[in-house]
Amino acid sequence: MEVSLAHYLAVSGLLFAIGMAGVLLRRNILVIFMCLELMLNAANLSLVAFTRFHLVDGLPNFNAQVLVFFIITVAAAEVAVGLAIIVALFRKMQTTHVEDLNSLKF
Amino acid sequence: MNPLVLEVLVVSLGIALLMVEAFSPKPDKRLLAWIGMAGLATVFVLTFFVGTVPPGSPTAAFYTADSFAIFFKRFALVSTILVLAMSIDYLPVVARFVPSEREGGGLGEFLALPVLTCAGLMWMASAADFISIFVSLELVTISFYVLVAYMRRSNAGLEAGTKYLILGALSTGFVVYGITWIFGMTGQTNLRAISEVVTGGYPAANIPALLFGVGLVIIALGFKVAAFPFQFWVPDVYQGAPTPITAFLSVGSKAAGFVVLLRVLEPFSAVPAIWEKLSAVLAVVAGATLIYGNLAAIPQQNLKRLLSYSSVGHAGYLLMAVASIGAVLPGREAWPAIGFYLAAYLLMTFLAFFVLAVAGGDEISHFNGLARRAPWLAAALLVSMISLAGIPFTAGFLGKLLLFDVALSAGNYVLVGIGVLTVACGFYFYLRVVGAMYWQPVPDGAAPIRVSVTAKVAMALLAVLIFVLGVFPQPVLSLLD
Repeated sequence: MEVSLAHYLAVSGLLFAIGMAGVLLRRNILVIFMCLELMLNAANLSLVAFTRFHLVDGLPNFNAQVLVFFIITVAAAEVAVGLAIIVALFRKMQTTHVEDLNSLKF
Repeated sequence: MNPLVLEVLVVSLGIALLMVEAFSPKPDKRLLAWIGMAGLATVFVLTFFVGTVPPGSPTAAFYTADSFAIFFKRFALVSTILVLAMSIDYLPVVARFVPSEREGGGLGEFLALPVLTCAGLMWMASAADFISIFVSLELVTISFYVLVAYMRRSNAGLEAGTKYLILGALSTGFVVYGITWIFGMTGQTNLRAISEVVTGGYPAANIPALLFGVGLVIIALGFKVAAFPFQFWVPDVYQGAPTPITAFLSVGSKAAGFVVLLRVLEPFSAVPAIWEKLSAVLAVVAGATLIYGNLAAIPQQNLKRLLSYSSVGHAGYLLMAVASIGAVLPGREAWPAIGFYLAAYLLMTFLAFFVLAVAGGDEISHFNGLARRAPWLAAALLVSMISLAGIPFTAGFLGKLLLFDVALSAGNYVLVGIGVLTVACGFYFYLRVVGAMYWQPVPDGAAPIRVSVTAKVAMALLAVLIFVLGVFPQPVLSLLD
């Protein structure tokens, strides 16, 4: 069977959906954070698939492939800052559960 | 001079501040704020001498320096200068909540990061390609994660930081996936190239998928500008973040979000088949944002939370104008009204947050009898509140008038009706703060309020500008045409 653009897009959509469901349903901040990374990787997969299957004069649009590298880099920066904040949170409150974040209410 | 020089200078300034922090033995960090403010003021002056990007140069593909972009670069510079000025007085509060072994430790980054954020905001104003939009958006967002969570011995600060982190990262996921689909359906990442593709006989079969991508990008920007239903992070984050950063979030981040929103929507507003759907969605979001922001502000007892709901409400007025772009107001005709409103919003919001930062408490009851304890401070908050409410002869009134005019000429009568009703609502909750200051008794044992010279100068300048722009808006409008 030939693997077509639709297959890649389906996998990527699935990854995105799993990531978003995880963000909405899970209660552990670390797991939520992993799910957020999953959403970014879903976008990377479909970007690469779109460039691979939309060749112009036999060449892909390299802009989108460069964007993939930027997304990977930004995701790494986001993880560095995000984990630092989660560590600070754990040191202060001894928890990584979203239910315990309830001091700000009106 | 190539306008890109401005951002390069601001980034260098931010790095220089970090170097000074690392190698200077002085424990007094106020010096950093002064260097930062002087540097940013220099860049502000330089914005009047930059040329345009030569078309066809490699820079022009991802960077534009039209008058709108230059206006918002100045906007970002002014807000950052004000944030640094506010931080000078706020540093002792931050120091209490930052663990450090020596005096003044861990405070330098609080003054260097806003400068780097400013560079991101300036890039966002100029971004003409989805790659540069994404990277500059993330530069701003990631710096804000650190700044919001900066006070890491405060439960509220950490909680606000974590909430902002999760929801900011979620909106990053949406924007990236949206860009992916826009790229997939047009084959381009450049906004001008996308515009050429969608206006030149775009196949109708691809429109739903393209709308899916644009919709995701609008959701992500809805998070940034605090539009309903993506506003739920706003009250908590605004309340928990350090006050200067709250002001920065509320002004800088929102303005940059609107600039990017306008730029992203520009190619699609020229295609009726796409735009009729998008503008309907935007109109619904605008109406819901107006109603939610203004109604939810009514029961608030905390001024910071009240300002956060008011910030949601003001996003609604701006979205009302964004939704009115279309056949009657094609291209960029509505942009000056939006730019002017954001400028007015900068003045009045920063004035309110300056008073909040020096008053030393955010409950509204804390401001009881402020008119007798500190008459000038009360007068400053009064000016800010009447401008936010939209009383004539203030910049806030004129800004609202321009936005309503835009919506009226586009025939959005329902939105205008909602807008007028919510303005009436706004009168109630803004003037409640004024009532507390002028008609409530002074609480027993209230400590005297000390206001530094920097804050006094900044507040006086902002208050005067609110009235000047309220009767004489031409200087700002001429920068925007």
